[in-house]
Amino acid sequence: MGAGDLQVVAFTLQMAATATAAILVPGVAAAFFLAGYRGPGRGALETILSLPLVLPPTAVGLALLELLGRNRPVGAWLAAHGVEVVFTWKAVVLATAVMSFPLLVRSARTAFEEVDPRLVGLARTLGCGPAAAFFRVTMPLAWRGVLAGTVLAFSRALGEFGATIMVAGNIPGRTQTLALAIFHETQLGRDERAAGLAAVTVALAFAALWLTEWLVRRRSRTEGA
Amino acid sequence: MLAGLWPSVAAGEEVVVFAAASLADALREIGSAFEARTGHRVVLSVGGSNDLARQIRAGAPAEVFVSASAERMDEVERAGLVRAADRVDLLSNRLVVIVPVVASAVPATAEDLASVRRLALGDPQAVPAGIYARQWLEKRGLWGRVRARVVPTLDVRAALAAVESGNADAGIVYRTDAAISRRVRVALEVPAGEAPRIVYPAALLAGARGAPARPLNPPRPAPAAPEGLARRGVELLPAR
Amino acid sequence: MSGVVEIDVTLPLPRFALRVEATLPAGVTAVMGPSGAGKTSLLESVAGLRGATGRVAVGGEPLLDTARGVSLPPERRRVGYVPQDSGLFPHLSVLGNVRFGARADHGAVEAAIDTLEIRPLLDRRPLTLSGGERQRVALARALATRPRLLLLDEPLAALDVRLRERVLPWLLRVRDEWALPCVYVTHNVGEALAVASHLVVMREGRVEAAGEPRALLGAPALAAEAEAGIENLMPGHVVSHDDAGGITRVRTEAGLDVAVTLSAARPPGTPVTLAIRAEDVLVATGPVTGLSARNAYAGRLLAIDRTGVDVTLRCALDAGGAEMLARITPAAVASLGLRPGGPVWLAVKSHSIRLL
Repeated sequence: MGAGDLQVVAFTLQMAATATAAILVPGVAAAFFLAGYRGPGRGALETILSLPLVLPPTAVGLALLELLGRNRPVGAWLAAHGVEVVFTWKAVVLATAVMSFPLLVRSARTAFEEVDPRLVGLARTLGCGPAAAFFRVTMPLAWRGVLAGTVLAFSRALGEFGATIMVAGNIPGRTQTLALAIFHETQLGRDERAAGLAAVTVALAFAALWLTEWLVRRRSRTEGA
Repeated sequence: MLAGLWPSVAAGEEVVVFAAASLADALREIGSAFEARTGHRVVLSVGGSNDLARQIRAGAPAEVFVSASAERMDEVERAGLVRAADRVDLLSNRLVVIVPVVASAVPATAEDLASVRRLALGDPQAVPAGIYARQWLEKRGLWGRVRARVVPTLDVRAALAAVESGNADAGIVYRTDAAISRRVRVALEVPAGEAPRIVYPAALLAGARGAPARPLNPPRPAPAAPEGLARRGVELLPAR
Repeated sequence: MSGVVEIDVTLPLPRFALRVEATLPAGVTAVMGPSGAGKTSLLESVAGLRGATGRVAVGGEPLLDTARGVSLPPERRRVGYVPQDSGLFPHLSVLGNVRFGARADHGAVEAAIDTLEIRPLLDRRPLTLSGGERQRVALARALATRPRLLLLDEPLAALDVRLRERVLPWLLRVRDEWALPCVYVTHNVGEALAVASHLVVMREGRVEAAGEPRALLGAPALAAEAEAGIENLMPGHVVSHDDAGGITRVRTEAGLDVAVTLSAARPPGTPVTLAIRAEDVLVATGPVTGLSARNAYAGRLLAIDRTGVDVTLRCALDAGGAEMLARITPAAVASLGLRPGGPVWLAVKSHSIRLL
């Protein structure tokens, strides 16, 4: 692998990590809220949050363009304040964050739902306020599932293509991730190079998913079903 | 004109045409005329010529290929899918620099391109329009300064769209592309002497049904055709 | 006033509304009633885990007072809660669990560990403990927060009979050493009798009866729910041991002399509680002679109650007026011609008496 390829790999990891870090707190908060919320509109909220999972990534990319294009309301406002999103790395982070968000929320929500709510109630009677109960009981029991969700989201972020290419473009050195680079190499007719890059993505994805599985398995063993 | 390209297709058949994106509108119009006259149906697939060439080499069932650059046609020919006798340089085009129609800052000369914030081109490594643009800028000694501002797109129409939406401040596309859009205007036209030679070869592919009854003659255009093309800024190359 | 628990709560539930009004004197109050009567919901309302309206006060201090806009969140109520399955935190050790709510109060933590005798277990994980051990840890955890009220939700129900009898002494120790007002939900008449000084019977969200446990014992509501438990519990102390005869003599507080199987480990003077199942009590219409049973007492039959397929006889013994329950078949009642007010003789084998 040449220096240029290393740059692409490093850039991809950087972008995926940034996107994952960006969705971590909102994702965990949303998951926690959904796990406990039984009120009206719960189904609708869950569905909306899950949409990027099922929609074609290009549709998501289009929606983001409609929002953030220079001639669109949010984009124009941002541009007026000197912030460019479309065709920059910020668009890469945004597109991957949106596509990965539902994966984190789903996994974390399952993890939170598996925490016996009576244990939380007991913690309250023992003197914990809601926040203390969350950090002292809920999180210690749910953290493996939350972490697994985070790693899953990160893996998804590594491979994001459809939304990314629409909002960030495929600009070598500036917005070109591994997935975009593979596509670019095929555009140039350089199929062997494309295959090489694809092999790298397989290795990264394999490592990330294997870690997720290991975390999930450890959880069911140590805490006892 | 198209009739000159494949004389012996039976009536009522489908003809699959792969064509460079920049010719999309022109060919659609010609295709409809052809359909009306001969009763055949034209299936038109447009895109970046590099993409189309790759698909043809991979076995796509195209019968006619009109490429925006000779190099892409060469690739297809090297793969044995075109006979030299069935290939003809058909059309030419001109490069123009465009800006959004509402733009305030308009580059007046080529040097001004070095200060444009984002310049949309078809991928300068792969897409003919982008390659032509790069060659022009290299010739002018500007490519080094401009390349950092380039937003490479999938094909020339995507570059046009980027300028239309305002997400790019300027772009380099064919005159034909600029002509179809009301949301961009031409800031400057690349003079014929400076621009690289833009050639659109057209060819009958090996997968076409029915071999030509005679070696391909330079097409004798139907009377309506040159006007239709000229309206769009496409130039018909003189028959060789 | 201290230790008195005033409850006046309303809480809508799926099938009916919980509507409990009761003033519980200081000490342990047992709450009994059929499943689904709302006993757990009552405890949860008092603990603040369920949002009821009304008033709950302990020792005059309000935990809930809707009329005055007071509704303390659970963490401020200082109410200790021990659920049926102990509810220990699996990710913490025993010590971690016990210390959980105690903040800096090491004294309370140590006292709780000592009372429940769980010091050898401190490094263990909850999953490795037996049911009885878990309940003790759960109790210690609640006590370590120095609560002003203890709520126990069928704490022994998940244990088998033998284990139950072994954990009961610790409950008694908690009651005696910590002197906390306590609400104790149970299905087991024996436990209620052993531990509580006040009894509340609930049905369909309301209080059906309240009063002294022994007095309410024969009530049909209780009889229907009473498990085969230990109905006769008599506190007393060890008098002497007879090694050759294999018996230990015990005198109950009511003045009854009882012979139990030898239990040399307890020196004379040790306070003990005798536990005798009602079905282990033999009933005769005349004085018994030539019987192997070492314990025979004369008394008078007070009441005959049908409890399911059996009959429970409530008898008053001549010696000290102590009450004893005997369970026999309706056929026996008929053939003996038993009638309330008539004389009876009760006999119990030494082997049928367990020492608590």
